[in-house]
Amino acid sequence: MTSKRLLQRQVSLLRYLTSGGAIFGDGGPLDPDLRGVDGTLLRMEARFSHEKRMEKIAAVFPRTFDLLGSEREALIREFVDACPPVDIARLANARQFHDFLSARWRRQPPRRAYLPDVAACELACAQARAVCEDGATPANDVRRTGIRRRPGVVLLRCAFDIRPIFEAGAGDPVERDTPLAIVPAPDRDQPGIFELPPAVFDLLAALDGRVDAADLREVPETDALIADLARAGLIEVRG
Amino acid sequence: MEMRQASRERSPSVGIGYRCAIAAWTRANLHAFDVLEVTVDHYIHGGAAQRDEILDLVGRIPLTAHGVGLSIGTDVPLDLAYLDEVAGIVDRLKAPAYSEHLAFTRVPGRDLANLLPLPRTEAVAESIIEKVRTVQSRISVPFLLENISYVFEWPDSNLSDAEFLNLICRETGACLLLDIENLYLNACNHGFDPYGFADELSLGLVREMHMAGGTTVRDPDLPAPFFADSHSHPLPAQTLDLLDHVLERHAPATIILERDDRLDATDEIIDDVARIRASVGLRRNDQQAAAAAAG
Repeated sequence: MTSKRLLQRQVSLLRYLTSGGAIFGDGGPLDPDLRGVDGTLLRMEARFSHEKRMEKIAAVFPRTFDLLGSEREALIREFVDACPPVDIARLANARQFHDFLSARWRRQPPRRAYLPDVAACELACAQARAVCEDGATPANDVRRTGIRRRPGVVLLRCAFDIRPIFEAGAGDPVERDTPLAIVPAPDRDQPGIFELPPAVFDLLAALDGRVDAADLREVPETDALIADLARAGLIEVRG
Repeated sequence: MEMRQASRERSPSVGIGYRCAIAAWTRANLHAFDVLEVTVDHYIHGGAAQRDEILDLVGRIPLTAHGVGLSIGTDVPLDLAYLDEVAGIVDRLKAPAYSEHLAFTRVPGRDLANLLPLPRTEAVAESIIEKVRTVQSRISVPFLLENISYVFEWPDSNLSDAEFLNLICRETGACLLLDIENLYLNACNHGFDPYGFADELSLGLVREMHMAGGTTVRDPDLPAPFFADSHSHPLPAQTLDLLDHVLERHAPATIILERDDRLDATDEIIDDVARIRASVGLRRNDQQAAAAAAG
């Protein structure tokens, strides 16, 4: 019974510490389970924890945060209320924030129409970096031969050419279908962001698992294309 | 008598917490440290390259193992899969001990990723004692509990920090990783005597120590500045005084400087390690002189 009550108090505490009311200081009375705990100190604890979480998320979405401008604070408030933290990892928190933004923008499109593409590209960069840092070959892939998209290469089909946002001093994004590959760069913090011809994008999308080169015979100038893609770090060729 | 007991022990090894962000610098400066502390969760969540870098240190410098992901205080059964993964890492590191915080960070469905205090009661201590025994049954090296810094306290806590730690350690044979910075901050923030706390700990309980420097938070809602455990700045002189006091009664094997922010300030890290070494050296000289005088 005592044990059950402790867990219940711990649940109530975390529910409170992750609430908008505690973090932003406009909450109501404390849950009865927390009676006797100093509310001012709890709100400070809530702010500390929230700031640490948002630091992780902001590190993945610096451009998105910048472009959100005056909308940012209200969106973060909505995010806090909708999505309590469930994981300690930076990428997990970033995915949670991106899922929230995507759902929010489906209901109400952002003021800058290219923001969803920018956010998706920043998340893709973080995913590419994570795979690059991990560097492990999946166990079930070790012995297999053939061609596959290089692990860590993330494909992204954007409605805007948002590459200028990622290139210092460049202009505004132009609205046009833009197939992109985000390619991990082990020696650089920022992965490469390359526009692909639509046919190459579709080919790479089909190379999730390994395929034999013979299966690509229908693709024009297969050998030259495979060599080019391998040179660009977009595919792995084995055997 | 107590001082002579401590003086018979060898000097503590002094080192830093290994951080991937300064891995290259750390490897280039191994000569500056006696030991490195590896956070097992960094190994678990890090990439293959990071794991290789950590394993490459085995045999080049002694490593000790520390954790942040156990959440031993959450009132649910321990995550045994996590614990077994930790056990494997501890073995690979050839670590002489594994330490974790006496705290909780999560409940089912929510993870605050921040260390939270437990009510300091006998009932809670009993629950922790059972879990410590589980940890000890699955990890091949001594298990150490670390005191945390806390912002708030539970109103039903009826044991002091030291009584709570003493009780759990006495019943389980676990030792203590005493975080001097956490002790100092808690004493400042919650108004108790850190020297009294140190004196209340069972003799010889402290096997490892953490040192760090934090920041001051000024909150308009609080009557006084709040000291935060940010691991970002040079050691305050008060923590070195406290270290010296603790070394009178305890003979830790290891003292680790923790740094998680402003990692570029490597000169501060080297300087703080030297300050800890100087404190340890002075204490040792005093103890040797006292032992000689006592015959």
